[in-house]
Amino acid sequence: MSETITITIDGKECTCEKGEYLYDVAKRNGIFIPVFCRHDAFEDHRACCRICIVEVEEGGRSKVVTSCVYPVERECNVQTRSEKIMEERSVIMALLAHRAPEAASFKPMVGRVGTVETDRLVTLDGEKCILCALCVQACNSLGTGAISTVNRGTEKMIDTPYGKESAACVGCLSCANVCPTGAIEYSEDDAVRTIWNREFELIRCGECGQIMGTRDSLALAAGNNEVPAVCDECRKKHMADEMMATYRYV
Amino acid sequence: MINGTDKILVCCGTSCIANGALDVADAIEAELRARNLGESVEVQVTRTGCSGECEQGPIVRLMPRDTMYYRVKVADAAAIVDSLEGELATKLLYKRDGETYEHMDDNPFYALQHKVVLKDVGIIDPLSLDDYRARGGYEGLKKALEMTPEQIIDEVEKSGLRGKGGAGFPTGRKWRSAASYDEWPHYIVCNGDEGDPGAFMDGSTMEGSPHAVIEGMIIGALAICAEEGVLYIRDEYALARDHIQHAIDDAYAAGILGESIMGTKHKLDLSIVRGGGAFVCGESTALMASIEGRVGEPRAKYIRSVQRGLFDHPTVLNNVETLASIPTILREGAEAYARIGTEGSKGTKVFAMVGKVKHTGLVEVPMGTTLRTLIYDIGGGIIDDRPFKAIQTGGPSGGCIPESLLDLPVDFDTLTEYGAMMGSGGMIVMDDRSCMVEVARYYVDFLCEESCGKCTPCREGLRQMRAILTDICEGRGKPGDIELLERICHTMEDASLCALGRTAANPVLTTIKFFRDEYEAHINDKTCPAGVCAKLTQFAIEADVCTGCGMCSRACPAGAIAGERKQAHVIDPAKCIACGSCREACRFNAVLTERRPA
Repeated sequence: MSETITITIDGKECTCEKGEYLYDVAKRNGIFIPVFCRHDAFEDHRACCRICIVEVEEGGRSKVVTSCVYPVERECNVQTRSEKIMEERSVIMALLAHRAPEAASFKPMVGRVGTVETDRLVTLDGEKCILCALCVQACNSLGTGAISTVNRGTEKMIDTPYGKESAACVGCLSCANVCPTGAIEYSEDDAVRTIWNREFELIRCGECGQIMGTRDSLALAAGNNEVPAVCDECRKKHMADEMMATYRYV
Repeated sequence: MINGTDKILVCCGTSCIANGALDVADAIEAELRARNLGESVEVQVTRTGCSGECEQGPIVRLMPRDTMYYRVKVADAAAIVDSLEGELATKLLYKRDGETYEHMDDNPFYALQHKVVLKDVGIIDPLSLDDYRARGGYEGLKKALEMTPEQIIDEVEKSGLRGKGGAGFPTGRKWRSAASYDEWPHYIVCNGDEGDPGAFMDGSTMEGSPHAVIEGMIIGALAICAEEGVLYIRDEYALARDHIQHAIDDAYAAGILGESIMGTKHKLDLSIVRGGGAFVCGESTALMASIEGRVGEPRAKYIRSVQRGLFDHPTVLNNVETLASIPTILREGAEAYARIGTEGSKGTKVFAMVGKVKHTGLVEVPMGTTLRTLIYDIGGGIIDDRPFKAIQTGGPSGGCIPESLLDLPVDFDTLTEYGAMMGSGGMIVMDDRSCMVEVARYYVDFLCEESCGKCTPCREGLRQMRAILTDICEGRGKPGDIELLERICHTMEDASLCALGRTAANPVLTTIKFFRDEYEAHINDKTCPAGVCAKLTQFAIEADVCTGCGMCSRACPAGAIAGERKQAHVIDPAKCIACGSCREACRFNAVLTERRPA
């Protein structure tokens, strides 16, 4: 049984386990903290968007921390909407909004978090990516590791090694699906999916004709390099039919 | 080997090599052979590490009479060998303000220095273990081997040594903390990724006294019970890497490293990891990620490296200079070391002083020495005796310190109180012909390329600051820009992921703090008071002052200056690119700067 600690977030008493991340405690208690680069699917968080900053007062000292990776180790008083936090969050929001002006999905967040009213910031025309790198995390957790952050500083971007088609990529779309801003582009026709500069053969279910996925992703999922002949739904239907035929019930 | 007979020490640090030191050493050796002295044990030529005053290189020193020769050329070899017994080669002696100096200790550049880290640099052959041992090398380790880890840590704590990479964290406390974790193995890592523009302290230390770094690491490893250590050395430091590798190999061969340290039950393996040249990899967690073979990005965890560092194990990461201080502390005792320096900052600090100072180079002074002493007494003042404007300390994480703070003692705490910082030891001296807005823009531009780019405030904050500062420098600044810069700066300070991002705003904040009027002149009056920003400046020649020497027209890359010999010259504004070369070239201060009409 791990130790429990009682902390105060925006005046509300919250109980948590020692070591729990501050963001999780706040969320459980219905306190809103904005996040972009954090996803429940992953245990580790990159803490790179920095929008989830809060002020923590511990032992008489106040500091700004990123709540998504800050472990609660002792009693503390947390302010998620102090003047300082609101100011700095609005600067971060303005920086992100100017970096990725086409990232439509987080426009509502600008209203909620605030921004800096100025015409002095430059925008990256046409950019959607906010470099949260959730796509990289998704790809890595599948064990494929086909994409990564490349370059450094203001030139940083997400790409395959040397921008070439990656032998490791299986075209599964996990990266595109986890992307919060729709920044990863791909296209599909009847037989081919194109993503990260590479074309993948699409496999259809031998029975219903639905797209099951790319040949590479199905082989990876099967683990034995064999591509299933039918989709999951059709396979289940077969099993049900067979059981019905044998036992007369399912 | 140092044995009291005549020795000729030839500085073969990177800078002296660039100035031809290797050829000079060869020429002296050839001269000795020609006189049948080469085979005798009486005279030896030793290729040493950096002697300090790099600008005056190549430097040759005769021992034991301690004669120092500067700006030596191959053709001087005969005169130098002559002077072993006969007359001094006077023209090669050090000259400053009309005085000539023969010995190192008389020379004002060295007289105020106090060498601990650099005590052997420039004296021993870095490739000779015997040379290092002859000057007390590995004596500190011998003492450490008779102590418990606890006693070693106590000793280092008592010395008051603080991390010299810039942060100033107490070294003893760091070691104690790492030693306390019961999770094995522990690692010790040396940070040799020095990357601040203008800094070469750690590189010179590794080049000139590699065993000191290794001895420091072995003692650190004993203290935290580590059996494996890594030296992370930046890719550009090829000579430092060679010398460290040579020293590691020699230490293994001599039984100092490996399965049994000097015959004891302790063991330690050391290896070098080559950095890829990323500035951010000097940040502790990015450095460890790089060693592990991952992308060199800092990690976003509130867990310190002493608990979970390299490969998630307790790790001590110390800077080169910190580690090179350890052998002396163990050998001479903590009290002796603690007597040097100030109340809060003990010992010495090595600085790489460059820029518009007369005598540039590598200096080591007690903590608490004032900037004025460094610049004027050691460095000899500003080139051409121009007015001092600012000194940039600590690289891109540091600040620009104005004249008004020159009398403050330089240590870890004092400058910080005044909104500047000492930093790792890089110091760039600037005169009145430096534009502080342009300086801020330069550092921001540097960081735009060298930030890892992982977190928003640092990456995007720098991108926006670069755009705003470029606008200001090019006459497109607007009222409110300073305040916007400050808002971005403060957000970066609080919300960035690593120390690089949190301090990246310092060059901007300190120049705004101490030179706000210069920003305002750029924004409101569209002038660059220092006459640097090309879009705001034009040059003109004062006819009364011009002697018609023609230096300016020869220096002008655009062919914009015309004039007869001994007649006043004229700049054609249509051709002038406002580079300022004419002003640099003019020895009569006849080149004026004016506001360039919009």
